[in-house]
Amino acid sequence: MSGHEEGEPKELAEFRAEVKAWIAANKPAKPAFKLPLSFLEVESKEQFDYLREWQRKVYDAGYLGYDVPKEYGGQGVDRARFRVVGQELARSRAPFMVNLIALQWAGPTIMTYGTEEQKKAYLQGILSAEEIWCQGFSEPGSGSDLASLQTRAVKVDGGYRVTGHKVWTTLAHFAKYMILMARTDPAASKYSGISYFLFPMETEGVDIQPLVKLSGEGGFNQIVFDDAFMPESALLGEEGQGWNIAMTTLMFERGANEGVGRERAAGFVERINTLTEVAKRQKRGGKPVSEDPVFRDRIVRAWIEAQAMALAAARSEAPQLNADRPLALPLMNKLVMSEWAQHVAELGCEMLGPEGALWVGDDHAPDGGDWPRAFMNSFGMTIGGGTSEILRNIIGERVLGLPKSK
Amino acid sequence: MTDVTQIIPQAPYAFGFTEDHELARKEARRYLNEHVTREHVRAQYEDPRGFDKELYRQTLELGWLGLSVPEQYGGAGLDALHLLLLWEELGRALYPSPLFASALAVEALLRGRHEAQRGQYLPEILSGNVIATFAYAEPGGAWGSDQVSCRAEPKEGSWVLSGTKVNVPFAASAGLLIAPAIDHKGELGLFLLELPAAGIELTPEVSVDPTRRSARVELDRVKVPHGARIQGDGRAIFQRVCSLGYALLAAEMVGAAEATMLMTRDYANDRQQFGRAIGSFQAVKHPIVNAMVQIELARSLVLGAASAMSSTEAIDRPEIAEHATRMAKAFAEEALSFTVQRGVQLHGGFGFTWDCDVQLYFKRMLWTRATLGDSTEHRQALAKVLFG
Repeated sequence: MSGHEEGEPKELAEFRAEVKAWIAANKPAKPAFKLPLSFLEVESKEQFDYLREWQRKVYDAGYLGYDVPKEYGGQGVDRARFRVVGQELARSRAPFMVNLIALQWAGPTIMTYGTEEQKKAYLQGILSAEEIWCQGFSEPGSGSDLASLQTRAVKVDGGYRVTGHKVWTTLAHFAKYMILMARTDPAASKYSGISYFLFPMETEGVDIQPLVKLSGEGGFNQIVFDDAFMPESALLGEEGQGWNIAMTTLMFERGANEGVGRERAAGFVERINTLTEVAKRQKRGGKPVSEDPVFRDRIVRAWIEAQAMALAAARSEAPQLNADRPLALPLMNKLVMSEWAQHVAELGCEMLGPEGALWVGDDHAPDGGDWPRAFMNSFGMTIGGGTSEILRNIIGERVLGLPKSK
Repeated sequence: MTDVTQIIPQAPYAFGFTEDHELARKEARRYLNEHVTREHVRAQYEDPRGFDKELYRQTLELGWLGLSVPEQYGGAGLDALHLLLLWEELGRALYPSPLFASALAVEALLRGRHEAQRGQYLPEILSGNVIATFAYAEPGGAWGSDQVSCRAEPKEGSWVLSGTKVNVPFAASAGLLIAPAIDHKGELGLFLLELPAAGIELTPEVSVDPTRRSARVELDRVKVPHGARIQGDGRAIFQRVCSLGYALLAAEMVGAAEATMLMTRDYANDRQQFGRAIGSFQAVKHPIVNAMVQIELARSLVLGAASAMSSTEAIDRPEIAEHATRMAKAFAEEALSFTVQRGVQLHGGFGFTWDCDVQLYFKRMLWTRATLGDSTEHRQALAKVLFG
């Protein structure tokens, strides 16, 4: 009964069956090279090309863009279908959409704040993966205290010139555009001096330097801007409105937009199936891990939590079920999901027993060493997009009305 | 591969929440705020019976016991969502009453196949004339239907029951006790025992939560008529009674945890130390947030349990509701346990006193954990679903 949704309208159930069949028939074969586990670790050109080709294929089949009107290259806004596609992609264990920053964060932000020209210029390229996006928010001196950022955008004839330093920039080496926060008015207050730009990366004065993650993988970068030019049209919204727009982007990034939580949750439920398979396959003391009462208990815990997250995501789309505390679910989404994923990755590593000591590249490493790799990479999600600690502050203050931490 | 993880309907429309649900919940909250204050709860600690009989009768008039009982038996015939939203409110207020005991007995009668039994007992129970209870537990850590050791032997057209039941809720106030027992063929039967009766000895227990009274019940060759056995698959009915119980307790625990978390939040906002409200310290703020997060996840599981209980598939596959309700109870117990412990701790010295209301919820947590399976027990049952 995988993918079954009780009470789903017939028309939607048919669409679901169609999407499922299409994915099964078109899902690309596993390549000879190592695929990244998430969009955070896309390192090589061959990985990138493979993933971009897959996204393009899904788009060409007409399944991407149910959150974007037709005039901007989408399928017309249909939230129910949007959700179905997301869920079925997650359940199928097909590759992820490589242009995720654009699809889930930049695109919806442009839909919210963009001019007609901007929507026309950017949205289709996002969906087709023709134009890849990265995000320029964090700086070496401004992580959790994002509003302290120092990168400057100085108004010049016909546009702006950018000078500064951004860091942890996933996909920058493949990106055509960056959503960029920069200070346009240093005299204004911390928050109101910031503007939000759709910065074209292929320009002079942009130096992209790869960073290496704790797993040894690349995929993210630091970027030094030295008087790099962008046209006036790169400004999103008004000058000085950047902080508010960035908060919208972060809301999307944390999974507050409708449907995304459920798509992620579908992936997590699928992850439990993987965990179960591993437990049946891996042995400890000659017996399958799945017969060990301690591991059974820990896997069931993760299963219950996955169900709770999936239900919470469904619930967040029924506002009356959250009337007492409307902001709770959107704000806690990313916190619980990222911590759960981390926890499950560690559990997977532990189930491997002695083989848990093997790393990517060893022929005997279970699942090619993906469990320790996923565990290390999971910290990208508990740190990026607002650390778990910052999210707890935000929830405490905005949802529960606790006093601000100093 | 069978995808066992997809057991709970997850579409927003599967919750089936309507304006009616919202109104009923508001009304229940208003009523409980007025009648079941913390002073009322504390007063029941001292009461010989452990609940206010008149108030109980009033709540039955509001239809709280018969909420999801079909209309033909005098109930309101509403869905499981109505039921669980109410029980969340009951948990928030810690309403001291035999509602839980009677709800299980009503479920057993409804799931049986004997119209005459229903007709005889349900109106009396739903009106409050008779308090009914269900003996789910036995000594030796026995929570489930596969651990019953009470015996029922046929004798001259009657059944003769012997054995020991423990933690029987509100047995001392009950006029009807439903007891599971194993018959001479090894099959599990559910037997209706009217109280008091010869051979039934009740010993009140000292409950960790005085709003949930209980007794140890010794059955010594108790003779009941042949027709006192509920007709149908006794083991299946027992499990359905348990599944309902898991759901009711899970919903109660969500309400109890919510009340405790908010109490703690308010204290952290008011209490000043080092010249500022202690809630501004992350060491205080973050545990409260963690409690809220756990509560919201637990609430989601309870709502999922409601949709699983009401789903059309669950009629043919009662295990769907069983799994969903086990998940809800297991998770809600941990959420409540975390919340009451942080509640005591973050109230500081005051939290350690009898006067601080967190203690009332702490006790409810301990009682509920020990009732119808703790989280370890439920996870063990769920592990069998995943791994066989």
